[in-house]
Amino acid sequence: MKKRMTLFVCRLILFLVFGLVASVGQLVQAGVKEVRIADSKGDWGYPNPYRHYPRGPGYVRMSWVFDTLVWKDDKGYIPALAKKWTYDPKSLAFTFELQEGVKWHDGQPFSAEDVVFTVNYYKKHPYQWVPLGDVAGAEAQGPNRVVIKLAKPYSPFMAYVGGVMPILPRHIWENVTDPKKYSDPRAFIGCGPYKFKDFNKAKGNYLYEAFDDYYQGRPKADRLIYVKAGKPLITLSTGKADLANIEPDMAEPLEKKGMVILTNARGWNKKLMINHKKNPFNDKRFRQALAHAINQQEIIEKAHRGFGSPASFGLLSPDHEFYNPSTPTYAPDPAKARQILESLGYAKGSGGFYAKDGRPLKVEILSSNITVAGESVTDRDGEVIKRQLGAVGINVDLVNMEQATTDARVKKWDFDLAISGHGGLLGDARILNRMINPKVTGSVNSARFGANKDLLKLLKAQVAEMDTEKRKALVYKIQEIYADEVPAISLYYPASMAAYNPEKGIKWYYTQGGIGLGIPIAQNKMSLVK
Amino acid sequence: MIDHATHSVPRRLGLIITFGLAALAMIYLSYSLPRLLPGDFVTAMYSSSHVTLTAEQEAELRAYYTEEPGFGRYLLKLASLDWGYSYAFLTPVSALFFGALPWTLLLLGTAHVISMLVGFVTGVEAAWRRDSHLEKSMVGGMTVLEGVPEISTGVILLVVFALHLGWFPAAGAETAYAEVSLLARLADVGHHLALPLATLVLAYFPGNFLLTRNSMVMVIKQSYITTARAKGLPARRIRYAHAARNALLPLVTRFGLRLAFMITGALVVERIHSYPGLGTLLYNAIQARDLPVIQAVVLASSLMVLTIILGLEMIYRIIDPRIEHAR
Repeated sequence: MKKRMTLFVCRLILFLVFGLVASVGQLVQAGVKEVRIADSKGDWGYPNPYRHYPRGPGYVRMSWVFDTLVWKDDKGYIPALAKKWTYDPKSLAFTFELQEGVKWHDGQPFSAEDVVFTVNYYKKHPYQWVPLGDVAGAEAQGPNRVVIKLAKPYSPFMAYVGGVMPILPRHIWENVTDPKKYSDPRAFIGCGPYKFKDFNKAKGNYLYEAFDDYYQGRPKADRLIYVKAGKPLITLSTGKADLANIEPDMAEPLEKKGMVILTNARGWNKKLMINHKKNPFNDKRFRQALAHAINQQEIIEKAHRGFGSPASFGLLSPDHEFYNPSTPTYAPDPAKARQILESLGYAKGSGGFYAKDGRPLKVEILSSNITVAGESVTDRDGEVIKRQLGAVGINVDLVNMEQATTDARVKKWDFDLAISGHGGLLGDARILNRMINPKVTGSVNSARFGANKDLLKLLKAQVAEMDTEKRKALVYKIQEIYADEVPAISLYYPASMAAYNPEKGIKWYYTQGGIGLGIPIAQNKMSLVK
Repeated sequence: MIDHATHSVPRRLGLIITFGLAALAMIYLSYSLPRLLPGDFVTAMYSSSHVTLTAEQEAELRAYYTEEPGFGRYLLKLASLDWGYSYAFLTPVSALFFGALPWTLLLLGTAHVISMLVGFVTGVEAAWRRDSHLEKSMVGGMTVLEGVPEISTGVILLVVFALHLGWFPAAGAETAYAEVSLLARLADVGHHLALPLATLVLAYFPGNFLLTRNSMVMVIKQSYITTARAKGLPARRIRYAHAARNALLPLVTRFGLRLAFMITGALVVERIHSYPGLGTLLYNAIQARDLPVIQAVVLASSLMVLTIILGLEMIYRIIDPRIEHAR
């Protein structure tokens, strides 16, 4: 009897334990009802390739809906619509083996024809995120294989096409002649993990719903919501959001509240643009004097409470695989700066400022709020730089203006010095072409420097070099020349952080080299998929 | 009496013509001023973006987005109630405007009405109790409060009541995409409204209080108030029916003008509390150089100023018949 009783109790315990485990398992299986991401600006356009704003947060909002051939996670490239890919140097062709059973959000099947159509459509109606100038065309080899041929060797192909190009459904877009104006609900049908449901323009909120038939498995959260919050930090710490970018000095209190803090690698730099087309900035020695006059660490200490690290003068981040550790550097040295200026014929005049041929050396620095990872950040660096240049003997007029006004002046070369900034320093080395090449006229962050012909040749050669080691050698040389020429001065990498609430069991992370073209935002869609 | 009416017809006609000309000037300014802003939509959108454009690509985009209709066509389009398309959203400007307007009306309308009513009643009562401790401390307190800008009040309220106490939400007009009943949604809207509304009431109410109190102090010195007292009328009736009515005029003017600046007035509060509204719409449009949206909001706000001033002209005559007789 006693034995029976013991057996019964054991069975009961086992039953309860299994029951509990099973119900907890079910709870986990049931997934998360919703995930909320806070963002201070809110409005980033509609989430399709032609209607999102051309900045990082716009692309990220689109990336939930549209998938690419390959994608990146925190370690590097991972399969997306393509499960395997190979490159044949002889035929200059990338072959992608596509996933099977992929469906569009409207239930239609995805095939290689959609990829071919997308390449042709973007060639006809350019999508600025995906430059297809070096792509000859695409060809379907059956429903699950597509070959994309290059016109000439193009090393950034995966970074700028394979891993960035959102694939469009042919059955929807084939009759669309003005894609920018196409606003039918079908314009938001992709084959990504989330279906676009709503964008509230007045409130700056976005709503997405999980796509049950997603080929990589149903996403973890039923709904994904972007909420506009002027102070994302408060929204996060009061539990109204699960993920937000944060100011570095708030990391500690948030960590104490149980939040997980993410720190990004050094991929975004604050930069001093120099009008190298104008006297005296057209003289390399003068620009080098400026570089010596600036103390990067002091800017970080005084304007950012120490949260940041000095930037390489060669543009590429020290965390980049192609970073050249021997890149020339300019130690903060006011005496050396003065010596260079004096060798250029400048002499101290009244008020302790330099003058040449009776004309005082007076420069204007433009500064403005700058958008970093989607948040508008007030500039405090101008004051420090003004003081540093003043200490050397350069009289500075600091002018603070609204960003678009500053941008318009920089674009027209109507400036002396301007404080600017950009990311992408961890992504493909093609960023060097974008940030140096004088042909890039539409960017205010690009040095647009064409005075050194060797530099231009190297830039052209590095994107055509398919061998990684050879390309690395070219990129090393580019950094050396760029740092020697100083057409712009990279100042520092601000500490870039995000925080998330781990209670929902979702692990957010910063993507290796940034999302897409190098977006430094910790909102990789794979966090909600795998 | 008949004489008076015949005189008032040309006068009103003159008034309408004057306002009509002013409206035309406003329409012209709303067309030409935004065009003087340095930079354009393509520069604002693309120049600091992840996309790098060549000269040809930039020219193509500029051709796509920039439309130069000329003032004549702009006027014609306005007459047919066509406000154009937003460059940024590629949707009709009217949809954006009317999407934002209800939130501005809710926040600012409520703030104005509350601060006017409370300011008026407390101002009247304080003036009636002139030289008492309560009145002195209220005047002192309100003078200080009047000097505190909305940006400080907004941030303080946010830090105390949203961050530390957690009583109110920090951002938005309602919980985004909450799946709740209508009643719960209304409660949620009220909950979100509390902090921005409190910020605005704290900003507007002291001025209303001080204005009413000062006007009342002048009015209660008048001999007709003494007469009313001598007649033995109840104190409340003297305060409100005799004195306060005559002290109301400056407050009505203030109310009207404040309402007229509704669009731009709430920008700071909208930004701090991420509250939707016309201020945010205009701010974003200026940042993006979205000319059609800037034009529409500038025009609507300037026409609103005109309409309210015209309305005030009419209301004055009702509140204070002396204005009509003085002519």
